[in-house]
Amino acid sequence: MENNDDRNLLKNEPGGSFTSGLTPLQLIEIDACTQCGECLKYCPVQDVTGNPLISPPEKIRLFREFIKATDGLKARLFGPGEVDRKLLEDFTKAIYECTTCGACGQHCTVGIFTQRLWPMLRKEMVRRGLGPLGPQAGLPKAIADTGNPYNKPAGDRYAPWFPEDVRLSEKADIAYYAGCTGAYEAQPMVRGDVRVLGQIGEPFAMLPPEEEVCCGFPLFITGQHDMLEDLVRRLVGSYKARGVKMLLCSCPCCVNIMSRDWPAYYGSELPFKIRHITQFVEDAMKTGKLLIRRELRERLIYHDPCYLSRGVGITEEPRAILRAIPGAELLEFGRNRLESRCCGAGGAARKVFHDNAIAMGRLAIDEAVDKGADRLILSCPACYAKVNEAMQGYGRQIRITDIMELLADLVERRET
Amino acid sequence: MGILLVIIAYLVYAAFWVRLSLHTFVWLKAARQLPPYHAAAGKRSLVAFVSSALDIIFFRRLFASNKVLWLGSWAFHTAFVFVVLRHLRYFLNPVPDCIWCVQPFGIAAGYILAFSLLYVVIARTVARVKYVSYQNYVILGLLFIISATGLLMRNFFRPDLIDVKSFVMGIVAFRPSPLPDNFFFIAHFSFFLLLIPYLPFHIFTAPLIAIEARGRQQGLDMVVHGK
Repeated sequence: MENNDDRNLLKNEPGGSFTSGLTPLQLIEIDACTQCGECLKYCPVQDVTGNPLISPPEKIRLFREFIKATDGLKARLFGPGEVDRKLLEDFTKAIYECTTCGACGQHCTVGIFTQRLWPMLRKEMVRRGLGPLGPQAGLPKAIADTGNPYNKPAGDRYAPWFPEDVRLSEKADIAYYAGCTGAYEAQPMVRGDVRVLGQIGEPFAMLPPEEEVCCGFPLFITGQHDMLEDLVRRLVGSYKARGVKMLLCSCPCCVNIMSRDWPAYYGSELPFKIRHITQFVEDAMKTGKLLIRRELRERLIYHDPCYLSRGVGITEEPRAILRAIPGAELLEFGRNRLESRCCGAGGAARKVFHDNAIAMGRLAIDEAVDKGADRLILSCPACYAKVNEAMQGYGRQIRITDIMELLADLVERRET
Repeated sequence: MGILLVIIAYLVYAAFWVRLSLHTFVWLKAARQLPPYHAAAGKRSLVAFVSSALDIIFFRRLFASNKVLWLGSWAFHTAFVFVVLRHLRYFLNPVPDCIWCVQPFGIAAGYILAFSLLYVVIARTVARVKYVSYQNYVILGLLFIISATGLLMRNFFRPDLIDVKSFVMGIVAFRPSPLPDNFFFIAHFSFFLLLIPYLPFHIFTAPLIAIEARGRQQGLDMVVHGK
């Protein structure tokens, strides 16, 4: 880029077409947006920034312009046009400021699946060298070096939190995947998972810490897809070798990518089922394998994680578990289940747009306190870490507990 | 003037098909890049199909989101369909019975179309919506001018319908006929030609996505529930 004019422009070569990473359905979705702007009412980023320039319809409008520049009639007749670099950078910022919660798609008057569209647009920006942003760029190296996006030693993955009284099987039909965020950032949550699984009493396996690598979600969501196939094949191969028939996980993001995207990266149907831990625990309670021993005279309010509710449709199992606690009263957020509002932790935006994430987390805290809840129940390690962070130094306080962390203190195994 | 409008009409018509072809080409190109294996995206059942049809016909997703806007938007789109059906009598010879049957509805739809457009603009202005699509307002403006000139012709400045049909059929048959000597018809037809390049693509693609969304929603239980 030699002169001032050129500095403002980005030649499309060698980037080529903006459509190369998108499926036909996603391209049709981009065409299908009516620009009605209804989604802005549900966008959590809009709630805290109020900036329509980073809204879903504006992102789609800009991306249409990019497609036109490389695949429109003029581009076909006279060669690809030039896209203003500033416009591309603004678009990149907007697409990464999004928490990818999918509320816009849930309320879209057409029905665009934005929870999958935004990550693919991010992938396109990565391909062009414009994304990811800030610390997100270090994710592939951290995962390659240590197996996790937090760049922490594999040796610390389980040791600080794994309960001493729980025994693992070398091979079992059931396996538990702790996930990186739970293992390193939300340890009470994964400790609760393992304690409850131990109480249920079914033999279960876990991969050795150096084998339980990242599920790929942080790379997928930031548009850095190069390592995904390798990670997925390694994990699936390891579980397959242990004869696993059902893989349990409590992290919504992991469950989401495992169930929705792992088959594509693995190249065929997975050799085991994916289940969220609340599904397994609810079944155990129904069949009497797990009994809630203690009562809890508290008003609980449950926050639906975006990738669990809108992502894979798990909304009732956590509620069934909480309702089964003697003495507990379950409250609801105004927006709940498939319509829940993001707590700010999603989309890997929390590390880059920290203030947005804290403000969104505080909206959740405010509503929980306003509803008169004694405890805010979460079931996502990212939500757990971020909402706890949002409460630091904040005037309004509420006790935050993961659903399995809570349950672990209340249950006992049926004696046989 | 007449021959100029005819030439513009052919250019607009050709541009429309080029545009449609380019979009189709891009979709087909993307289809070639699909991974060899991808999980089923949604549920394909009769219930999902019927629900999708109802979503498309009654704009149920918009109804769930904004009932005030839904009223105007649904009335506008429904009226638009009837107005288009009514106008088919100018393009077909002989005119099929079914097109004759919808003529009275088409007349009523002409009024509803104009008023629903005003309603939508007022509803969005009063609601102080955060996102404004200027292209949508250009389209609404063009549609309002087209519908207003149509109503003026219907009630006050009637053109010679035989001249109108000859002119339109001349374009269709590539045998141009003289332009009817009516200012409002010329304006009506000119703004219609101006509208075509602005026609939003969502009128073709949104129904497809509505079908996909319904299948995905109804198939949500299958993702990890194994139903």
